[in-house]
Amino acid sequence: MCGTCGCADPANEVSMTNPETGVKTILNAALGHGENQSHDHEHDHHHEGDDKPHMHGPKGEIIPLEAAILGKNDKIAAQNRGWFEGRDVTALNIVSSPGSGKTTLLETTIKMLKGEIDLTVIEGDQMTANDADRIREAGAKAIQINTGAGCHLEADMVASAAKAIDPKPGSLLMIENVGNLVCPAMFDLGEKMKVAVISTTEGEDKPTKYPHMFRAVEMVIINKMDLAAHVDFDEAACRANIAEVNPNAEIYCVSAKTGDGMEAWCARLRELAIKP
Amino acid sequence: MHELGLARSIAGIAEENAKGRALKEVRVAIGPLACVERGALEFCWDLVTESTGIAGVELGFLDAEGDTFVVRELEFMEEA
Repeated sequence: MCGTCGCADPANEVSMTNPETGVKTILNAALGHGENQSHDHEHDHHHEGDDKPHMHGPKGEIIPLEAAILGKNDKIAAQNRGWFEGRDVTALNIVSSPGSGKTTLLETTIKMLKGEIDLTVIEGDQMTANDADRIREAGAKAIQINTGAGCHLEADMVASAAKAIDPKPGSLLMIENVGNLVCPAMFDLGEKMKVAVISTTEGEDKPTKYPHMFRAVEMVIINKMDLAAHVDFDEAACRANIAEVNPNAEIYCVSAKTGDGMEAWCARLRELAIKP
Repeated sequence: MHELGLARSIAGIAEENAKGRALKEVRVAIGPLACVERGALEFCWDLVTESTGIAGVELGFLDAEGDTFVVRELEFMEEA
């Protein structure tokens, strides 16, 4: 095993656990180097600190770069942020697993804020324009981005969609990301904040299963509270799990379907919207 | 599988900064909170560099803090 390329790193291990027997099987052989297979690199890995100063001349030279790999996305996201601020638009990046009720939450929100705050929606899905149609029927302007095989929205997609939808000053721009609790955590879209939606039917432990995402958000909405009793949802346990990975997250318990708890969420949105 | 897109970005940064010189290894620094899986990135690296100007260039990993995710160093081939 090699300690430098990550194949020996337990944090990067892909494993299968049988909950009945407790037996854990390592599955990362296909992508990594396999178990018990020592592999010699033909080159030395250089670690921070152990080879400074560099003893290389013009031959075999090493140049330091510090180039951000997501730099291109981050740059466009920063442009988006300026674009939103310049137009007094508050953009929220809404993330969740598929089926937690993001679109229903937006439909109810649009109806409750109608006549008060203008709301526009960028819908991200791999395929179909179903969600954008639903938003339009609820009474707001919407644009659908289909990412095809892509698992998340990127800043350049939002830049194009935002220009096309042309949100009004003082409005809220809701960016409904592709249903996925993994990749969207990495990609800044230029939003003011990320909001995670989880639903009671998903269980209480989503935040601890997907800590990267729940660490990246500022608000968590627990949706489908009307079903909580039917699925033995433990709200206190869910709140504790959120607090474990993100103690500062604001939490709203709602039922987008019945409207319960939606007033507190809408009141928060009224605060976030910029008064023109 | 966002590692595919990340591998493409790394390849782009490497090619751009190598300015035509022969590369030996590209080293990226990845923090534990970066949400990047090294095995998947390594797998994608071979796919995206295949039949490009940087085919055969190694991808190396350096430990880093927090959510660091940068191309930290480029190592060039020794010039004869």
